[in-house]
Amino acid sequence: MRLVSRNWMSCIAAALLAAVPSQRAAAQVSGVVRGVVSDSTTHQPIAGAQVRIVGSDRAASTDAAGAFRITGVPSGSVSVRAQRVGFLAQTRQINVGGGSTMEQDFTLTPVALTLSQVVVVGYGSTSRADVTGAVSTVSAREIANTPIAGVDAMLQGKAPGVQVTQNAGNPGNGISIRIRGSSSLSASNQPLYVVDGVPVQQADFSQLGYSGQNITAITSINPDEIESITVLKDAASAAIYGSRASNGVILITTKRGTAGKPRITFDAYSGMQTVDRKLDLLNAQQYIEYMAEAAVNDDSDPAKYGLVPGVDDKVQSDWQDAIFRSAPVRNLNINASGGASRVKYYVSGSYFGQDGIVIGSAYNRSSGRANLDFDASDRLSFSTSVGLSREVNYRIQGDASLDGIVTNAIGNQPNLPIQNADGTYTNPDDGLAYSNAVALATYNYSPTTTQRVLANVEGRYKVASWMQFTGRVAGDGLFLHERQWQSPIVIGTYAASANGVAKSAYSTGNRFLGEGFFTLTPWQGSGRGNFSATIGASTERNRNELNFVRGEGFSNPDLHDAGNATTVTSYDASRSRNNLLSYFTRANFGWADRYLATFSFRTDGSSKFGENNRYGVFPAASLGWVLSEEPFLHPLARLGSIKLRGSYGVTGNQGISNSAYLATYGSANYGSLAGTSPNNFANPDLKWENTKEADIGIDWSMLSGRISGIADYYNKKTSNLLVSRPISGTSGFTSFADNVGNIENKGFELQLTTENFRSPSPDGFNWESQFNISTNKNRVTALYKDQPFTGGIRGVNSVRVGEPLGAFYLVRFKGVNPQTGDAIFDDINNDGKITADDRVVAGNPQPTHWGGFTNSMSFGNFDLRGSLQFSGGNKIFNAMRIFADDGGYNYDNKFTDVLRRWQKPGDVTDEPRASFDGVSGARQISTRFLENGSYTRLQEITLGFRLPSSFSRTAGLANARVYVSGHNLHTFTGYSGYNPDVNSSGSSSNVGLGSDFYAYPLARTFTFGVSGAW
Amino acid sequence: MTATHITKKLNTVMKFRPILLLVPFGLAACSGVLDIAPTNSIPAATAISDVFGARTALVGAYAALQSSGYYGESYVNYTEVLSDNARASGTLTNFADADANKLRADNSEVASMWNRTYDAINRVNQIIQKVPAISGIADTERNEILGEAYFLRALHYHNLVKLWGGVPIRLEPASTITDAASATRATSGAVYAQILADLGQAETLITNKTQTRQASLNGAYALEARVRLYQKDYAGAEAAAAKVEAAGYALAPNFSDLFNATGSNTKEDIFRVLFTPVQYNLVGYYYLTRSLGGRYEAAPTTNLISAFDPASGGSISKYKPVDTRGLVSIALNGSRPYSPKYNTSIGDEDVHVIRFAEVILIRAEALAYLNRLPEAVAEYNRLRVRAGLTAETTAGRTQADVLAAIARERRLELAFEGDRWPDLVRTGQAISVMGLTANQTLLPVPLTEIDTAPGITQNPGY
Repeated sequence: MRLVSRNWMSCIAAALLAAVPSQRAAAQVSGVVRGVVSDSTTHQPIAGAQVRIVGSDRAASTDAAGAFRITGVPSGSVSVRAQRVGFLAQTRQINVGGGSTMEQDFTLTPVALTLSQVVVVGYGSTSRADVTGAVSTVSAREIANTPIAGVDAMLQGKAPGVQVTQNAGNPGNGISIRIRGSSSLSASNQPLYVVDGVPVQQADFSQLGYSGQNITAITSINPDEIESITVLKDAASAAIYGSRASNGVILITTKRGTAGKPRITFDAYSGMQTVDRKLDLLNAQQYIEYMAEAAVNDDSDPAKYGLVPGVDDKVQSDWQDAIFRSAPVRNLNINASGGASRVKYYVSGSYFGQDGIVIGSAYNRSSGRANLDFDASDRLSFSTSVGLSREVNYRIQGDASLDGIVTNAIGNQPNLPIQNADGTYTNPDDGLAYSNAVALATYNYSPTTTQRVLANVEGRYKVASWMQFTGRVAGDGLFLHERQWQSPIVIGTYAASANGVAKSAYSTGNRFLGEGFFTLTPWQGSGRGNFSATIGASTERNRNELNFVRGEGFSNPDLHDAGNATTVTSYDASRSRNNLLSYFTRANFGWADRYLATFSFRTDGSSKFGENNRYGVFPAASLGWVLSEEPFLHPLARLGSIKLRGSYGVTGNQGISNSAYLATYGSANYGSLAGTSPNNFANPDLKWENTKEADIGIDWSMLSGRISGIADYYNKKTSNLLVSRPISGTSGFTSFADNVGNIENKGFELQLTTENFRSPSPDGFNWESQFNISTNKNRVTALYKDQPFTGGIRGVNSVRVGEPLGAFYLVRFKGVNPQTGDAIFDDINNDGKITADDRVVAGNPQPTHWGGFTNSMSFGNFDLRGSLQFSGGNKIFNAMRIFADDGGYNYDNKFTDVLRRWQKPGDVTDEPRASFDGVSGARQISTRFLENGSYTRLQEITLGFRLPSSFSRTAGLANARVYVSGHNLHTFTGYSGYNPDVNSSGSSSNVGLGSDFYAYPLARTFTFGVSGAW
Repeated sequence: MTATHITKKLNTVMKFRPILLLVPFGLAACSGVLDIAPTNSIPAATAISDVFGARTALVGAYAALQSSGYYGESYVNYTEVLSDNARASGTLTNFADADANKLRADNSEVASMWNRTYDAINRVNQIIQKVPAISGIADTERNEILGEAYFLRALHYHNLVKLWGGVPIRLEPASTITDAASATRATSGAVYAQILADLGQAETLITNKTQTRQASLNGAYALEARVRLYQKDYAGAEAAAAKVEAAGYALAPNFSDLFNATGSNTKEDIFRVLFTPVQYNLVGYYYLTRSLGGRYEAAPTTNLISAFDPASGGSISKYKPVDTRGLVSIALNGSRPYSPKYNTSIGDEDVHVIRFAEVILIRAEALAYLNRLPEAVAEYNRLRVRAGLTAETTAGRTQADVLAAIARERRLELAFEGDRWPDLVRTGQAISVMGLTANQTLLPVPLTEIDTAPGITQNPGY
């Protein structure tokens, strides 16, 4: 070979070194020991295990297939010992004949469940024992049979560092996930989702607004098909995903087949949902009494307004009962898996259907998946992962609109009928303050259909035993169609005056991905050290297109597609695109089973940035030290294993519009004349937001793995925030995209797993507990000229240096004057007036701590699981109080809190007097509407029973299990609204946080299910 | 690990060298993926480089007038709430603040008016900067485009100076952030000088005399008359108004014809901003009550109800105006008075920027100040007659009396069209009639301006 002839020196050196063992081998008759080391629980091979001949220097490490081979074993009886961090060591006595090869396999028992897990990481996988970054995993078992559409919602309380806010309870709603806090002001704060190695589209492609009710691309990933979820939390773990990783990465791995005869499993459940809790509102008598008192207090005549007690309170309407219902939820999943040695398959089909607990709302999803693995030869193999789904989501008119269904059910008066005697619905002309919620739900509707194809084809070629090339192409096609019909039948709406309003919107999101990478494991199976590396490149193309038309004026309520409109009032057809080109590498080092190091480096080029800053660089390093493997600590090894970790890395965020760096013109038509006008101010220096994060952590297990834990502390600093920075309006623009400001997140995470009872027999009593808690302290540390600004519903959220993102900024309520009954507010500047200048930082909308506690038990054929989930430290702005606790200025029904109102001089209370003209201060937006947002929720209780095998066999089943389950059983909270897990600004909001403006309530669900396999 | 292993491994690498080479090749082919042209927008550098670019840029300059911060709402509805014509009747705090004439420097409606007007100026400045250098365009078309651009710039600066006093004068587009931050305020006199200079250019360059949804030569004269009236150059105002009169405009026979929905053209139109169901205004939407599909943010004051029908005493239930403009301007829905002048919530009526009736009023006022009272009275009587009222006589009337009558006619004729507030400020009645302080007669400069361009000073009192 040319290489050899050129590098003759290394060739000679190699020859010399190679001569050494052969000389020794010649001196003594010896044999070979070989075998495979595998995990007793998962039956997966264990790579990197040390196998040595006790009392000699003969040793080897297992390769990726768990195989080892020790040569030069002295003949005779020897002890062979296999060990691996996280497993109990095992010793076997064997007789080695001279010149012969002995087979000896080892099956190691993990000392702690958490340590034996295979952890999927970016562009590969590793074992928990080798992880040096901060990574959480959630298995399919932990989220099974949760009657929620999206896997994002299922993560609530399951993984430390992952904070989940449901925002609203409507079926299929978009969820807010914050991994280690919010780190961005204007760009996205949602994590990156990677399904089977492919970063997928995750945005809300919906064009029609329903305030807090977002659509998310995550619900189209069927949770039934998910094998495991890994959350990459620290920068070092996530940096391999570079410019999109600063909010953390959620890696989803779908199920795949294993060799064996066909195995068909099914899981079906059906259940009923009811509203978790109703609001305490006034009844007709209380309402009229209150409103009459309000009128009298302000010298108005109640009779003039139809508010006379005993006269105007004869009707009793419960609007909440009128819009809530018991709603069914059902799920069916059937899948088949199996395969021969070269071909493996997993094929699955599912249906999930959930009616909303508010009339008019519903969600359903049909999905299918086919995952195939094929070994073409010993070197070449292929895998395909194809998922198809179709979702239909019936949303209800936005919470913040005048025609919201939940809104108007809370707002309308209890003393007016819902229906007239003839069955028609009452309306504002009958005195209702707002349009009739039941009529809205009955005649208006808004279906959104999402169809999605998520496909990836992967080829792997084993260049050598230690080198594999993986090539992958993937497509993610998402097609979303929304319709909305606002019927003219609903009197008192804009649609009634416009003779009906219809909207139709098509959106498509397409992503194509092509990538290739080498996985190198050159020093995996020899000596005391190991080294592996990944190096590759990736390119991604994104294309979005949308069409929209809105029409008014319809001849017949049944001719309600937008094309039948007399007038098109709005339309759109546009597209956008952006591309990414990336190079990445990662190297893992291990030495003597106790020193671990990982370095990664990614560079991303993005079309979103100008020539000056097109490429971003994202390096990371992490170190691990398995303290318990140190010889000097061996005496303590019986206590358990301890690993210390430390990491540091840089990640980015490029979540901005596509050509924000460029000066551009857009269309500006005038009547039928086509025109253009400037629409973007140039900033050629625009670049990535970047996050630098340090993490220190400890993994430990003791008592043979009965107790294990993972703890982390992190400090995350985001700088060069992508913001829309103000510019003097005299330029013709008001803002441009720039990098200004810093945000910091610090926190602590702890996950504890204990096996409280471990029975030697599988049918004995087993009890495992899992507890996790996380804290996060979020702080804005710099802004453009450090100027604070406000946002969110009614501008109650603020962004200020030194405060958490979205900190509530409100006038402080000090109490009610016992003499006058008027509310008293803190006049900070002592100017005698309560103005916006008297606002103070009044609370944090972000939870400061959250977590979950799950217990799983099994005994005989029974299994029981219960989960609690908690969150706290935050405040909620109950924006419903602006109308429902306003002293009687608006005709809205009131919360029962007003029953303890001030009524006569000397009354000491915190509820201002009723005031028709709104002069008691009850209308002032202040800390009076701020409530404690802490809660603990009984998230789930499931009781399962495995049918006796004799019984299931008669049914032709290999096994079968039935279960009953309750979800969202009770929420313990001081919050007075429907649900403290709320954000009416929706999942894409960064600053508007923690406000409840008539958000759709959560459902309590009971299900009965059966699962089994043939 | 032995050296043989290393050698072997390197050998296998070399054996598969062709595969490795594919990787960089594959990516080299990808390097173009990052250069993608913007979609849905075009690079500014090439936007105005030929005759088509010049034409479309001019169209875009007119589109700026449709903004809700401009004639699409604020200049029409919001300024009425500042005046004694309308009160805040909806939920927007900006409107409540305007009603109380207690504006804050962070008022978002005021900021929107400022920003949208300067956006309109920037569009015009781009044309004035780039169109002279374009080749392949006929001189008459080039002149027409530039002339209309100068007209628009004069209109924009006049709108600014009416509301804020002296404002920053920007005659070229800002190209860098530093440039944008360097703006400082000019004196009101300097702004007026610039307006007249631009009008001079417009009158020289525009040849089209009749178009009404774009600037015409007569439109430039009408605007000149208005500007000179504001400057108290009564002879100049009268002369400019006389040129418009000579051009053959006439009052629409019925007052209501002026505010009919879409497409209504009258001989009274001089310059109206075009609106369609898609490029809609919020004028009617903000005036109409909820049951008529509106938001009802601005409602007629009792003061204006009395002005139309003194016998009503300001009570809408007793409102029976003789003046035919009365029921076009104020109507009753349920128990609520509202303005039906722009009477659809769809917002596709073309909003008047200047119409012939205003030119008559300008001329009347100028003549009155020039002490040509009989002519002045004859002018405004034309509007009274159309409104079904009796003509007034000159006999025995003082100049002050005639001026007061003109002010009254002006208020009734142009109610809810955005004229009342600048009129009150111009004539000093904001102080003498509404009882405001001098500080309250100028809008606050938006807070963001003070922050982003430190050279811009705030108006007193904010």
